[in-house]
Amino acid sequence: MRRCLLGFLLLWLTPAWASDAPRVAALSWEATEHLLMLDVTPLTVADAGDYRAWVVRPTLPAGVPSSGSRLEPNLELLAELQPELIVIPPLLEDIRPLLERIAPVQVYQGFSQQHDNLQVHREAFLDLARALGREALAKQRLQAMDAELVQWRERLRAHYGQRLPAVTVIRLSSPTAAFINGPNSMPQHALALLGLQPAMDLAPSPWGITQVPITALGRIEEGVVLHIEPFAQEAQLFASPLWQAMPFVREQRFAAMPSTWTYGGVFSLQYLAEAIGEALLKLPSESGKRPNRP
Amino acid sequence: MAAVSAPSRHLLTLLALLPLALLHLWLAADLGPFELWAMLASAEHSFEFLQLQLSALPRLSMALLTGAALGLSGSLLQQITQNRLVSPMTIGASSGAWLGLVLATLLVPTFAASHGHWAALLGALLAVGLVLLIAGRSGIGGLPLVLGGMAMNLLLGALAAGLVLINNQYTQGLFVWGAGDLAQIDWHWVQWLWPKLLLAVPVLILAPRPLSLLQLGGDAAQGRGLALWPVMLVLFLAALWLCSVSITAVGLIGFIGLLTPNLAKMLGARTARDELCYSALLGALLLLGTDALALLANRVSGQLVPSGAAAALIGAPVLLWLARRHLAAEDPRGLQLPRGAERFGWRSALWVALLAVLALTVALGLARGVDGWHLQWPSALVWSLRWPRVLTAASAGAGLAISGLLLQRLLRNPLASPDILGLSAGATLAVMLALIIFGGAVFGAVAPLAAFVGSLAVLAVLMLLGRRHHYSPALMALLGISLGALLNAALQFVLAKGSGDSFALLGWLAGSTYRATPAQALWLTVGVLLFGALALLFQRGLTLIGIGDGVAASRGLNVPRLRLVLLVLVALLCALVTSLLGPVAFLGLLAPHIAVMLGARRVLPQLLLAASLGAVLMLLADWVGRTLIFPLQIPVGIVASVLCGSYFVYLLIRGRLA
Repeated sequence: MRRCLLGFLLLWLTPAWASDAPRVAALSWEATEHLLMLDVTPLTVADAGDYRAWVVRPTLPAGVPSSGSRLEPNLELLAELQPELIVIPPLLEDIRPLLERIAPVQVYQGFSQQHDNLQVHREAFLDLARALGREALAKQRLQAMDAELVQWRERLRAHYGQRLPAVTVIRLSSPTAAFINGPNSMPQHALALLGLQPAMDLAPSPWGITQVPITALGRIEEGVVLHIEPFAQEAQLFASPLWQAMPFVREQRFAAMPSTWTYGGVFSLQYLAEAIGEALLKLPSESGKRPNRP
Repeated sequence: MAAVSAPSRHLLTLLALLPLALLHLWLAADLGPFELWAMLASAEHSFEFLQLQLSALPRLSMALLTGAALGLSGSLLQQITQNRLVSPMTIGASSGAWLGLVLATLLVPTFAASHGHWAALLGALLAVGLVLLIAGRSGIGGLPLVLGGMAMNLLLGALAAGLVLINNQYTQGLFVWGAGDLAQIDWHWVQWLWPKLLLAVPVLILAPRPLSLLQLGGDAAQGRGLALWPVMLVLFLAALWLCSVSITAVGLIGFIGLLTPNLAKMLGARTARDELCYSALLGALLLLGTDALALLANRVSGQLVPSGAAAALIGAPVLLWLARRHLAAEDPRGLQLPRGAERFGWRSALWVALLAVLALTVALGLARGVDGWHLQWPSALVWSLRWPRVLTAASAGAGLAISGLLLQRLLRNPLASPDILGLSAGATLAVMLALIIFGGAVFGAVAPLAAFVGSLAVLAVLMLLGRRHHYSPALMALLGISLGALLNAALQFVLAKGSGDSFALLGWLAGSTYRATPAQALWLTVGVLLFGALALLFQRGLTLIGIGDGVAASRGLNVPRLRLVLLVLVALLCALVTSLLGPVAFLGLLAPHIAVMLGARRVLPQLLLAASLGAVLMLLADWVGRTLIFPLQIPVGIVASVLCGSYFVYLLIRGRLA
């Protein structure tokens, strides 16, 4: 423990000597996020460039090299970099024997409709912290996140009063089709943590998303719809009369939320909650609560 | 059926169109039949009313317009070429359009979002131009055109898959288009499309005369004062225009253009004008029907089901059924490859040996690392990671070359190979089904078994259909086309779902040595050596069957049994390779031909040389895939398909121009 704390200090104070910093390779973006939140700079990250473009937060230092794709990380490069630990997603379970020749491997459970994705990610984060001897820091980070979420909840209550609107988060894929984040998706977990109900009932799926024709969105009679930016054909879709006639657009129960990665680890929840919260605070306080049930 | 006169046939079809249009409208508006009626009667502008007005009605119009355009375009193409297998899909227009759009989206995304159709149009035109060049004047009317189109489809498909795979995050929105979706949100596309389809009017008025003259034969037509080539060229361009704008508007919807003219003919359309008009009508009916099915599936599953997937699902079996009825005659014409040397000399042998040594050195020793290139003997750890891939690639190459050679000799068809005949597509389709049914979790375990079952099933169909038609090249190619298109539609459908499993599947489809374990590599090598040795045992039989069934039988061979045994051998070999690597196009086709061009014309030397060439080519492809965009890797299947495919197309064009 002391050695790790020392290492932690060294990492922060004198990067030049930081030979004690753990050399960990992250072959998935969840693992990258978790490492960064444990204040460990990964030795290498799969698809590092795309991580910087799509996941964005937490920030990956510019010097960290890519180790190939997340589907087929470059084994020879990994061997050359000599990591002490490799963190892999379940997708790579079948090449585990190969990776184990290079360094010890830690695998965590992935997205599945059989279990609660959030709980699984929390445990994966704590497991990783345990392996790196940074449990105290991990718990501290989780508590900080929980506190942050409580704050957002209070801000929403202050804005909307006791009855919060139901919310559905979508990602537009073309002017005629949209992905809906349903049960077990990270956005829905973020909604639940903020005390918000889903505005559209869907069957659970492994990745938590379902693609529907755009007209299906017209069936969302009440509640708020948030769309995750960016969407290239925004101008074309948003100007169309059909879109303008969607109940949630007509009644101004629609807002954009800033680009946020929706398949991240534990802390992506915090970013998602922030994005959802910010979008909801922009809407008038009566949004999504129109039908007053007794 | 042929007894029905033309006017009443048209009338009957129109009458069938009406209830189908109502059904389609009802499904698209997502309403009950009575609600629909009430909605039409009421004046209130609810969301449902707007949905009917701005989504359901445009969709209906779109289905009718594109269906008619595709039907007309297909009929026009088939009548010009006098070739019942021609359609926008079979001559490479669709895959050209798809590649054009993928490229535009990756290179200039803002342009692609607004003007992507021009990229699609350009891609389609270029692809078809190349195919025409390959087939040449004499080949347009026959199998060469279709085979050239098929080769182009495979090549462009591999290129597009590679691009999508390397840029997996950026191409999401493309997939819905690629899967062919008729969904509309306003009248924009209908208004965009209909003026461009007005070209159909002069075509319907002016085309029948030259086309009926063509029916008499090119010489007769010229004898009556028809300037044959200019007229054909103009009509050809008109047909391409019709199908390109339709593809641009609704995405990849295959089969309509191929099936409708054939159906029209079957239902009694005899004259050129009748066939054109009736094909347009029938195309509208057919697309409306398939789109209604897609809508129904959508409603039942609660998920987006693209219309293109439905069209392929219905189209592929119908095409096979049609083929069974119509294709008896053997078409001896193939594609022309350069002839090459008469015998395999020492000089060529030296070159091949040198190339093999070079490939082996490069594959094992030359690699990229953190600090650039280095040529060195790998460390024990790197060696243990590298040799299974190298061995897998080499054995797979040899195996594919052997199976290609066996097929080419057995079927007396220079273009036979596992990918052209659909064996690879069948294996892939089975794997994809397994993925949909069992999910991604057990993918690794189920994939090899599914691949094996898939290629065996295709082989069984080939044998059943083939025996009646003496394994005619046209039939074989047709089966490959049907399966390939079915596979493509299924692939687009799975991709459009956009889940993480899609990319795992795309990775497998690309054909990669990445996941090969030492045990698998060794098994593959043993298997390929074993099957190769077995094939050598049959060399006398192969030589005789290659000359003709009669010759072989007169020398005391049991031809049907020998053919069966050898075909099963091929299926096993193909399944073995495909289950480990995924599909690799062109290699099995090309390696035996290069061997012949180097002068190895008898079975034994050709087999040995083709196998070594296949191995060397795959070694190099694997190495290129590992190093080209380091640290990312391009799957060997894509590299091999693109390299060998480009070379094959180059050879075909050279053979044509020579």
